[in-house]
Amino acid sequence: MSAIELTPAEAARWAARAGLVLPAERHAAVAAVANHIQCVVAVLRELDFADVPPASAYRAGEEKHDGAV
Amino acid sequence: MEPYELSLAAAADAIRARRLSPVELVDSVLDRIEEAEPHLGAYVTVTAEQARRAAAYAEQEAARGRWRGPLHGIPMGLKDLIDVAGMATTASSRVRAEHRATADSTVAARLGAAGAILLGKTHTHEFAFGLTTPQTRNAWDRGRVAGGSSGGSAVAVASGTATFALGTDTGGSIRVPAALNGVVGLKPTYGLVPRHGVTSLSWSLDHVGPITRTVEDAALVLATLGGHDPRDPASLSVPAADYRPGADTDLTGLRVGLPRSYYFDHVHPQVETAVRNAIGQLEALGAQLVEVDIPMTRYIRATQWGLMVPEAGAYHEAGLRTVPELYQEDVRILLEASEMMSAGDYLRAQRSRTLMRAEWSRMLEEVDVIAAPGVPMTAVGAAEETVTWPDGTIESVSDAYVRLCAPANITGVPALTVPVGHDAAGMPIGMQLLGRPLGEPTLLRVGHAYEQTQPARALATAA
Repeated sequence: MSAIELTPAEAARWAARAGLVLPAERHAAVAAVANHIQCVVAVLRELDFADVPPASAYRAGEEKHDGAV
Repeated sequence: MEPYELSLAAAADAIRARRLSPVELVDSVLDRIEEAEPHLGAYVTVTAEQARRAAAYAEQEAARGRWRGPLHGIPMGLKDLIDVAGMATTASSRVRAEHRATADSTVAARLGAAGAILLGKTHTHEFAFGLTTPQTRNAWDRGRVAGGSSGGSAVAVASGTATFALGTDTGGSIRVPAALNGVVGLKPTYGLVPRHGVTSLSWSLDHVGPITRTVEDAALVLATLGGHDPRDPASLSVPAADYRPGADTDLTGLRVGLPRSYYFDHVHPQVETAVRNAIGQLEALGAQLVEVDIPMTRYIRATQWGLMVPEAGAYHEAGLRTVPELYQEDVRILLEASEMMSAGDYLRAQRSRTLMRAEWSRMLEEVDVIAAPGVPMTAVGAAEETVTWPDGTIESVSDAYVRLCAPANITGVPALTVPVGHDAAGMPIGMQLLGRPLGEPTLLRVGHAYEQTQPARALATAA
């Protein structure tokens, strides 16, 4: 386990901060999956985003309410 | 040939010419369901009596000279994430045991208005969060996975228990089961088909689309599904279109992108051979092959996960806090782990998507379509969880099945999978065609031209 990985107890605490109480018997497994996900997504930190906005930025002028089924 | 074996287009022609009645067609497919369903498990619910009543009504309309179009009297399955008024949308989950949809989804309403007849709701991997659909068996080998998450829809179409079906696709969930069961699957451009009334896995990656036996059939269904609906915030304001491809198979002048990277890495040799042969067929039809470099491949998986995991966690936030024990373990633990992702993780994935969309847009200026495998290997055995590649790399089955599909979900470009043969064990192989946003007419033209060079495909034989 690397120094930045969540321990089972830390995973339980992070979940609790999000309002999710994890049963004790799930702490280790959830920490392992969370660490695996973090390992996958952390590679995005390599990218130089400069001023690039998130794709979710929306265009207010494009909402139209004339659609029909 | 029995009516249940007909393609949608052939059945539509026969119904219009009064050579086949909707009652005969629906009865034939329901008989086939009775025969095959106990072995395949494609359906959550079969609504046989309602289907027979609807078929009788469609027949009366036809007798009065009213023909609603090519879907008139055609029996279909809907993935059980898609709301139909008065029916449960179970998402193949115990969480939804008491669910009852109060209204039709946009797609169910449009299909109903076009005359399609609902046979029932088809199985999904629970809440679409998985690639195997364990309740359902592969239509070609019952010991292998159906693929997912739209496994029930693909198996139903492949085995003759639905003339067509709808699936949803967040990371390949239409294309993967379509490829693994030897049928056609179309993930349309993001926003082309409204998702109102369809249970979400990940709002920014979700698509609804057809699973059919031929490319022409996919075009006929897409024409009914497309069109703006303001109740889906991603819905595009594009006019309804006729997507039916012409009979001409000449592809002269068409530029087909052949990926130099990514799409042929860690791909089973028999899959690669079949897809390269099919691409050679496109060249024989006049297409020009142009090598392309797929951009940002190092970041595809990270971007897909960075978008999907927190969005799925947000959708299930309440369920995970009230009835966590009702989720299957594989889904529950992903949802729990999603709570540990930060807003920064999610925003990096959204910014990566901005970059990736721009890079794909540049690449698609050089070619009209990209041709590649849809999935890197055929259907694996139901108990297999990993695949080992010749260089020793071990990959989870789910990761492998998502890998070649995810770019189209991240960038929103349309993607079509077309059967291009079988491996030595008889399992189907699919070729994926990717195009520019709203480039469905080109994808369908190319896919249809390829199909015209091949013998008609038979139904699957496992049941």
